[in-house]
Amino acid sequence: MNLYFYYVAFAFYLLSSFFYLLYFAIGKDSIERPGFFFLFFASAVHLFSIIVRYFEAGYTPITNLHESLSFFAFCIGGLFIFIRHMYGASVLGSFVLPSISTIVIFSLFHSVEIRPLPPYLRSYYLPVHTVFSFLGNGAFFISFIVSIIYILTENYIKKKKIPPYAMRLPPLELLDRVNVRCISIGFPFLTLGIITGSLWASIAWGSYWSWDPKEVWSLITWLTYAIVIHRRLLFGWKGRKTAYMMILGFFSILVTFLGVNYFMGGRHSYL
Amino acid sequence: MQILVFGLNHATAPIEIREKFFIPEERIGNFIEDLKGKGLREVVVLSTCNRTEVYLFTEKPETDIKVLISSMVDFLKIEERWLEDYTYLLKNEDAYRHLLLVASGLDSMVIGEPQILGQVKDAYRIATFMNSTGYLSNKIFHRAFNIAKKVRTETKVGYSPLSISSMACEMAKRIFGDLRKKKILTIGAGEMTKIALKNFKKEGIEKVYIVNRTFANAKRLAEDVFGEAYPFSEMERLLLDVDLVLTSTGSEDFILKRDSILKIMKARKFRPLFIIDIAVPRDVEPSVNDIENVYLYNIDDLKELSQRHLSDRMREAEKAKLIVEEEVRKLPLLLKQIDVKPLILHILDYVERIRKEELRKAFSKIKDLDEEVREELEHLTSSIVKKIIHPHIELIKKNGSYEVLETMSMLFKFEEKYEKEDKGGQ
Repeated sequence: MNLYFYYVAFAFYLLSSFFYLLYFAIGKDSIERPGFFFLFFASAVHLFSIIVRYFEAGYTPITNLHESLSFFAFCIGGLFIFIRHMYGASVLGSFVLPSISTIVIFSLFHSVEIRPLPPYLRSYYLPVHTVFSFLGNGAFFISFIVSIIYILTENYIKKKKIPPYAMRLPPLELLDRVNVRCISIGFPFLTLGIITGSLWASIAWGSYWSWDPKEVWSLITWLTYAIVIHRRLLFGWKGRKTAYMMILGFFSILVTFLGVNYFMGGRHSYL
Repeated sequence: MQILVFGLNHATAPIEIREKFFIPEERIGNFIEDLKGKGLREVVVLSTCNRTEVYLFTEKPETDIKVLISSMVDFLKIEERWLEDYTYLLKNEDAYRHLLLVASGLDSMVIGEPQILGQVKDAYRIATFMNSTGYLSNKIFHRAFNIAKKVRTETKVGYSPLSISSMACEMAKRIFGDLRKKKILTIGAGEMTKIALKNFKKEGIEKVYIVNRTFANAKRLAEDVFGEAYPFSEMERLLLDVDLVLTSTGSEDFILKRDSILKIMKARKFRPLFIIDIAVPRDVEPSVNDIENVYLYNIDDLKELSQRHLSDRMREAEKAKLIVEEEVRKLPLLLKQIDVKPLILHILDYVERIRKEELRKAFSKIKDLDEEVREELEHLTSSIVKKIIHPHIELIKKNGSYEVLETMSMLFKFEEKYEKEDKGGQ
């Protein structure tokens, strides 16, 4: 049943992506509106599918790759709705929505069946730790996209060669502001994710920190973003430097999230 | 009646020469007066930094153009050899086409820029004020304004902001987005600065600071654009505060050098700074652009950008030229409509016939008339008729509007019909 709703959400994501891509190609605000409308629907249906799955499985459905990617996509969509509402940088949707759709497709390649929960995951920390972590990841994903756009935009402004499509990209300062907002959302969640994970580990495995690959990489991620905040405040690492660091940080997240699952094993690999 | 245009523009003359031909607005009146004193009746003088042109409407083009050129040489104190190298003289259709292209911004350095129409209107306004316009010039200029409007509404030539200062604004928006909470520092207080600042004001920029070596000029500009004037020594302090810098001083050396800007950027914690250098020679060391979060645009960068913007506007310009051509084809008709010569000749002939007829009757009644008296009577009647008819002729010559021509035709039984004027651009 949950999958049925998931497919409906997926269809809405695809529709929304279609309108957002069209919006980028044509540049008329009237095309963005249905895109946003469908995104909103997609998110609502998606949330419903997660709730249904929660009742069907009997636990918070963020335990394997299918569920995590699904929840990751949901977080990105929700955060984008928030950012669009706050900053009006609607063009970002032309990049965010296709990404969400891709992640959803990706999630469908993994086993979708509901399996019994392994004993060590049965904990109140499961929802807390995973929700915090993915909210953080979602925010950093958006900042990853924003940073790429920032670097491209900054490049053409510096070089004084402006391709026609570039006039539709948001202004630099707005991109930088969105980036900062993403850090201010993502970093606390990331920190909370690590802290709750560590508390959970002490209960489940008996020690707060055991240098497992996932733990090491989440620490690297945390340090990367910590450096951005520190440098930015002290030395004015604005704009381009922040953008580069955010891209680096997101690669570190990718390694933490997917690389560890696929290639490194350890206690944190849940396929 | 013929239309002539004599002058030069950015395509035919370099800036050094254009400067020599430039007539400031307050002197245009004097120049027109000078020309009127020498017998020219309908003249409109247009002078901007990109062109100086005299539009001449005349019955005797050969002599009038000589008068115009010699007065121009005297008035502007220019060298005669320049005339041959840099100026153009266009007649009738070509002149009319030229006026239409100029008014609709198609002859501008930056095609489609909107400021030129206002400048043409000003030139025309000055001419009407100096009483140097007549029926033909009034009509031609009004039609030109209509065509310019038509070009603007029916094509996308003037669609997006194109002039240098608009381009600077556009780039500022690419960097900062909303300019409403931004501050700009202006170094130098020239005319170009004023135009640019007005543009930024239109975008709602919050604060305008002005510094200038001559403080009085800074103060005057500040009053014009609602800015704040500061002494030149305050420049460095202000640079820490602002988001945009506009420089346009006459300085031979760089005013803002890489080292000082780097120092300032460190103190600003690399808050973005957009520097617009519209001075020639440049005010800002080019390598300043390499500093992080500093964006330096000089006048050539902006010009090039606005030109590049053009590629699809070129197609629009072609459309606009079709509109212009269509209008140019109407010129012979326009000229014919107000070719009052046949009517005047008819009236003179008409009254002369009456006079002759009446005189003949009188002579046949009075016998043995002395040759001397006969001659005196000829003279007397002729003079009376001329005196009576003179205001009519003057009226036709000065105000040859459709109503007047028709009334006159009716009064004097002139057969040829004057066509009702069709409004330009509709």
